[in-house]
Amino acid sequence: MTHVARAFLLGVLLFLYAPIIVMVAMAFNASPLYAMPFEFSTRWFGALAGDAVLIDSTRNSLVIAVLTAVIATILGTAASLALERKRFMGRAILRILLLPPIAIPWIISGTAMLLFFFWTGIGRGFHAMLIGHVALAIPYVVLVVGTGLKNVRVDLEEAAQSLGSTPLHAFFAVTLPLLAPSIAAAALFAFAVSLDQFVISYFLATPGYSTLPVQIYTAIRKGFTPEINAISALLLGFSMLAILAFVCLSKAGGTLERR
Amino acid sequence: MTVRLSRRHVAGLLSASTALGMIGLPLRRAWAAETITVLNWQGYGTDEKWALQAFTKATGIAVQHDYYSSEPEMITKLRTNPGAYDVAVVNSARTQQLQAEDLLMPLDLSRIPNAVGLTPALRDNPNIHIDGKAYGCAWVWGYNAIAYRQPGIQTPDSYKIFQDPAYEGRLALLDDATNSVAIGALLTAQDMNDPKDLTAVSEQLKAMKKNLKLLWSSEDQWNKGFEAKAFDLAVYWSGASVRSRRTYKLPLGFTAPKEGAIGWFDTLGVPSSSTKAEAALAFVNYMIDPAFYVEWATKVGAPASANGSAMEKLPADDLNRTTHDPALFKSMQFMGPLPDERRQAFADLWEETKAFYAR
Amino acid sequence: MQGELAGGGLRQARSGRSLKRAMPVWVGTLALLLPTYLWLTLAIFLPLLGMLVFSFLTKAPFGNAKPAFTFDQYLAFVRQPYLIDVAWTSLRLALVTTGLCMILGLAAAMALKQAASGRARTILFMLIILPFWTNGLIRIFSWTMVLREGGFIDMVIRAFWPGAPSIGLLYSEPAIIIGLVHGYLPYMILTCFISLLAIDDDLIDAARSLGARNYVIFGKIILPLALPGLISGAVLTFVPVIGCFMEPRILGGRVGVTMGTVIEDQFTSAFNWPRGAAFSFSMLALVLVVFALFSSVLRQGGIAREDG
Repeated sequence: MTHVARAFLLGVLLFLYAPIIVMVAMAFNASPLYAMPFEFSTRWFGALAGDAVLIDSTRNSLVIAVLTAVIATILGTAASLALERKRFMGRAILRILLLPPIAIPWIISGTAMLLFFFWTGIGRGFHAMLIGHVALAIPYVVLVVGTGLKNVRVDLEEAAQSLGSTPLHAFFAVTLPLLAPSIAAAALFAFAVSLDQFVISYFLATPGYSTLPVQIYTAIRKGFTPEINAISALLLGFSMLAILAFVCLSKAGGTLERR
Repeated sequence: MTVRLSRRHVAGLLSASTALGMIGLPLRRAWAAETITVLNWQGYGTDEKWALQAFTKATGIAVQHDYYSSEPEMITKLRTNPGAYDVAVVNSARTQQLQAEDLLMPLDLSRIPNAVGLTPALRDNPNIHIDGKAYGCAWVWGYNAIAYRQPGIQTPDSYKIFQDPAYEGRLALLDDATNSVAIGALLTAQDMNDPKDLTAVSEQLKAMKKNLKLLWSSEDQWNKGFEAKAFDLAVYWSGASVRSRRTYKLPLGFTAPKEGAIGWFDTLGVPSSSTKAEAALAFVNYMIDPAFYVEWATKVGAPASANGSAMEKLPADDLNRTTHDPALFKSMQFMGPLPDERRQAFADLWEETKAFYAR
Repeated sequence: MQGELAGGGLRQARSGRSLKRAMPVWVGTLALLLPTYLWLTLAIFLPLLGMLVFSFLTKAPFGNAKPAFTFDQYLAFVRQPYLIDVAWTSLRLALVTTGLCMILGLAAAMALKQAASGRARTILFMLIILPFWTNGLIRIFSWTMVLREGGFIDMVIRAFWPGAPSIGLLYSEPAIIIGLVHGYLPYMILTCFISLLAIDDDLIDAARSLGARNYVIFGKIILPLALPGLISGAVLTFVPVIGCFMEPRILGGRVGVTMGTVIEDQFTSAFNWPRGAAFSFSMLALVLVVFALFSSVLRQGGIAREDG
């Protein structure tokens, strides 16, 4: 069975990485039009080094993605606790209200935000983008953490409370550690949602401020050079290294084990 | 143990994000004495680094950019950001709509020295003149026509080739309602800005279904698709065709068929809410300067300049100059302003046609 | 109001159990919910409410436009019947994508649980998320390289079978589905995996030692426990896919016409916000209907959990 499982996983990973491998390969291909045959070149990495706009916007994207992940995860986890654990009127409605942010196409949410922020004086800029990104990421967090919460037994926390813990302490001591994998996954999703989001950033960024997805989106009109592939490949490489380092250094290698 | 670990993690995350936030803060660079903001498509002339450096050096005016990716978005940005923009690149077919909303100010062309060289057909075009005032300075022009793979396809003389069964699955059309309606209208000898018989237009477009491989919407998509031999025959932009041939060495021919090319020109307008009109006009003047244009056209690849004297500075056999022959002005119609109802009718027609293609 | 709540929370934390009874449960619930829903109200609900109003107008209230109240935008489906075809395409894409993701995702999550443990599992877990951190547009463009005639699939096949005919999947519905499944599969794998973490391996071993067949174990133990994950994953896949527009546009070629592309056209080309908004809210309604049907089926099947 284990062999079958491993082979299947390998297949899934191959599928997931097929376009990623192509993306990285094209970063090293000399042709600006992704033309074949392949001709090795590092010219796009050279061009990237001199492209301050692209580097700046990548940094902006990372800053905003990290902040989005942190804020959305905290807010979403709290909401998820209430939605899973408490019984109250209107719970079903509150759940349904999580759907519009993911169901309504970005272009509409983006336009709507631009108008509303203009009318209310919130305006455009970093703060406005952050408001938008976090709002789009929250439903993902609530759903993912909620899935995890269904598996964490309520009676454990109640037991801790009956032994004298405050509810808050019982939560931090009992539920949170059990919930850690779900929260981690939710944060990674929130990060990915923000990193992918271009429409809202596009509408809400102030002139002169840009993010990587916006750069990619606007570059499509004129033709984006494999510089974009180069920076994506670099980001991917760094993420892999960071993850490897994290996994190797952290003693808690078994965070994804059942407790 | 686990609790301590997670607390440390949280603290670590928090401090890391604060640190990142601080890197993110000093975003504002020190600008020159005056900074103007230009609203344009990205990578469309006004944001060439070398040009901006030269402009700032000469005038002391710094230039920053904001971009749009569709014309409605440009209009939305102008509406919702009063005072934010000093120069906007406006398709002349949209000028009247913007003027009707008081989003543009009239320009005194006599205060733009380089305007004397402007081609009269563009400078005085009714698209941008309202009540005798110019609400924009003609900047660049081009046209949409037929691109075809060479060798292999004889120079087409009519849009009819798009319906020729010999090219089954080899056609790429521009995903744009106005342009598609224009092709249908030209095929049925109607006014492309106001075709009366939309059913006939729709029939012409639907007859291209078997040939149609894909709908393109960006130059990048066009180039990569052509390179990958996804299609051999397409609608294309004149300026982009020059770039494809010169920069990317793609084997294509480009021709205006007998029914006529679909002309357009873009203008530089000054939003009525701008408080830096002086500086804005200086920038407009620089953008139609022959010296700037020649460098833009030869180094990067540009549409044709509205400034005829700039075009004459290009070598006689320059691909850009031969593609944008002034003789075209006599035969070519420009895209004109569309009332809302007609624009919606065009959009509905195209949406219905696309659904037909997809079936 | 929020400050009051926070103050209450602090007081409670300091004095511990003595005050616990004095604080009604709903205060805590509210404190947990309020930040999220206030945030969503500011960023999503109020702006969308504006759009909802627009969808009942003849034109967007700008400039000299004199908008009037109308239901016309919602009647477009009646007036332009081809839109029903388009809506069906969107629904079909969403159903097929979600179905494929559920099968592949659950299988992959089970494989992940079985094939690896400890660090290896964490690394695999992260490897599944990583492609997600690459921009979606780039991923889609890369798929065109993989799927096109003479692309990477063809190259690999021809390496083993020279002269093989081209698969040439690009610009077809399967191409769109491949792109979509690729984009949403990680959600499904991870939500399923989170659910599967709750399954006690001893339970499966015990069942097996009692002679239970694999399909019985799957049906009686694994599937019911994985259900919350499958449902969350399905929501996170179905809902965005029904409004997708990049994948159909870039991978679909001629056949890539969906509600997502129609809506985008209303905003970026026709400049008819009321119509675009009306289409989006119709789509949202469709999503809610599908959910209502789905949850009533689940409930009748007796497998729905106490919530709902």
